[in-house]
Amino acid sequence: MNPWDVIVIGSGAAGLVAAWHARAAGADVLVVNKGLVGRSGATITSGGGISVSGRTAIELGFDANPDDTDEAFFADTIRSGSFLSDQRLVDAMVTGVGEELRRLMAGGAKITAHKHAPGHSSARGVRIPGPSMQRAVTTAALHAGAKFREDFQSTELLTRDGAVIGVAGLDRRTGEVEALYGRTVVIATGGATSNWSLRTAPEELSGDGHAMALAAGAELIEMEMLQFLPCCLVAPDMWRGLQFPWILGPQSGVRAWLLNRYGERFMARWDPERMELSTRDVVAAASAAEVIEGRGSPNGGVYLSWAHLPRDIVDNFPKWTRSFSADWRWEGFDMTPLVEHIRAGHAVEVAPAAHFSLGGIRVDADGFTGVPNLYACGEVTGGVHGGNRLSGNAGAQVLVQGKAAGRAAAARAQKETRAAAAHLADEAWRAVQARIQSPLHRKEGAVPGDVKRRLGQLVDNALGAIRNGVTLEKALSEIRTIARDDLAQLACRNREAAWNRDWSDALECLAAVPVIESALLSALARSSSIGAHQRQDARDAPTVREHGLISLKSGSATLTHRAQPVEFSILSPA
Amino acid sequence: MNPNHSTPTLIIHLNRTPDGVPHTYMLPSPSEAGIGANDWADVSVSGALQYLQRAVDPTLAFSLSCRRGLCNVCAMRIDGVVTTACTTPVHDGIVIEPARSKLLLRDTVIELSLVRHARIGASVPSATATED
Repeated sequence: MNPWDVIVIGSGAAGLVAAWHARAAGADVLVVNKGLVGRSGATITSGGGISVSGRTAIELGFDANPDDTDEAFFADTIRSGSFLSDQRLVDAMVTGVGEELRRLMAGGAKITAHKHAPGHSSARGVRIPGPSMQRAVTTAALHAGAKFREDFQSTELLTRDGAVIGVAGLDRRTGEVEALYGRTVVIATGGATSNWSLRTAPEELSGDGHAMALAAGAELIEMEMLQFLPCCLVAPDMWRGLQFPWILGPQSGVRAWLLNRYGERFMARWDPERMELSTRDVVAAASAAEVIEGRGSPNGGVYLSWAHLPRDIVDNFPKWTRSFSADWRWEGFDMTPLVEHIRAGHAVEVAPAAHFSLGGIRVDADGFTGVPNLYACGEVTGGVHGGNRLSGNAGAQVLVQGKAAGRAAAARAQKETRAAAAHLADEAWRAVQARIQSPLHRKEGAVPGDVKRRLGQLVDNALGAIRNGVTLEKALSEIRTIARDDLAQLACRNREAAWNRDWSDALECLAAVPVIESALLSALARSSSIGAHQRQDARDAPTVREHGLISLKSGSATLTHRAQPVEFSILSPA
Repeated sequence: MNPNHSTPTLIIHLNRTPDGVPHTYMLPSPSEAGIGANDWADVSVSGALQYLQRAVDPTLAFSLSCRRGLCNVCAMRIDGVVTTACTTPVHDGIVIEPARSKLLLRDTVIELSLVRHARIGASVPSATATED
């Protein structure tokens, strides 16, 4: 099939829902994924909540709150996002999620009613564990007749006269650099969270989709907004980023104490009433502030302590909450040594870990990016969650946006008539190939893995749960130095093209740098504290609500930021 | 957290070819390796393989995604047992092999595709692989 009607990049829930709907609309669909389909991306690691209003849930056959309307769900989402959300996107999510849930259930997905999640005004939403969700969408896309390309690392969109005509990338298995032509492309590559070294997210989320969209002329929105989960483990290395202590403490309503190195319960300075049971964004910011101000623990966190509670209280946890099993298996780990440690009265070092990209590619309710033939859906997009995300809203987002983008791309492909001629000229293709192959052919220079680690440190340091202008300026200058000096020097130490991790790392660095620079520019421009963006040097909330938008000056590598007032088309701040 | 372990340096036996002799690597202490741990017992097999590729042998191939035992893409045979590398701590003298040599693609990477019958332009498992 050359060209395909629809090429979907990414195979988490958003991408595979898009693929299913594009197939249902009669399009030929190719799903391209950097790793293995069903064994990569953040969907698998998700807790599995899907927000849906009580009334809609009742229509679907769940026992839910009849007083909970779509309007209440909408209002909770807008308020939690500090009125920064694109309200058209939220409206589409709130009103559209029920229909997609019905389709999933009709396909055999086992979905259960949910407990009351924090931030929602009532018990709201349903649940399907991440691995089950991934299995359901993988099977559905397969049965619908989508085709797949795995271990294919997409690096740039191919364009002609400003319109997208396909994608180029590296087949990691063979080492071939190839062009895949499509009448439309849907980007569903997930967040940019693996650019933080302390994270809950999987390995591969380097922002490839963001970078490709930016280079093709799309805008990024609210790139400084990153959701952190508080009280994740910082050590040992194998458990780094696990959220187990948070679940064993505040999340379960247990008043474990957060202490700094002087033994102070620092939450008293941030939320004297709720203390450790405050919202996740406040606990994350408070913990990060202790570290920045020199009161942290040896591994760059703070202490979470159960020592003031009865020592055997943890023994009751598996009885009180379904989050734990009696043998302390949690995800793939046996957490018994940590539980023993707590039972012996020791505190645990914890820190906020990067969890979810709230910002991303700007789209409309059809998933259209504004660049002809280019669509996006899921965590790679921005604007739904504004400054903070409610639990379960990512699940609703991927379903609704996946459907919208898949259908819109299929409809567009059926109208696209120039497709037969839409190939790159030989010379242009040779230039694309040369760009992708340059790290492989360079004899010596910067080791890609080293540059990647340097980026992780820079991002952890400047774009944590607390930011300040001086650090951001310094990081911006450093990322621009890396962009200018190091990216052009990336060199693989391994000459063989197939299974070349240096090469893959180099291509990930090339994608990550403009994405990180976008986040730094947006964080600097937002000189106030709102939602997930907390500025140590500008504690006040902004007086006006503005989106922060990043785009690439055409024909150059210069990123520019502009602010745009938020439209309160449905709900205004009080 | 692991007071009883002491593994300052580490020897790894890595079987990279089905019929070959295992490669043996001697790793320095985690701090010398740039890993935030006092002891290799705090580091997963995946963490050790990442270090090996980054600092010792750039040609090494391995798969890793979720880092918490959910996606199973890092499944390999460790001390004779097939398990996920990301949830298994390393220890001195550990033996690491591909989970199934029949499915071998490169080093510890094996064919774990769930959609291989609907895949296009895909390479098949290495023809050089022999029986299990």
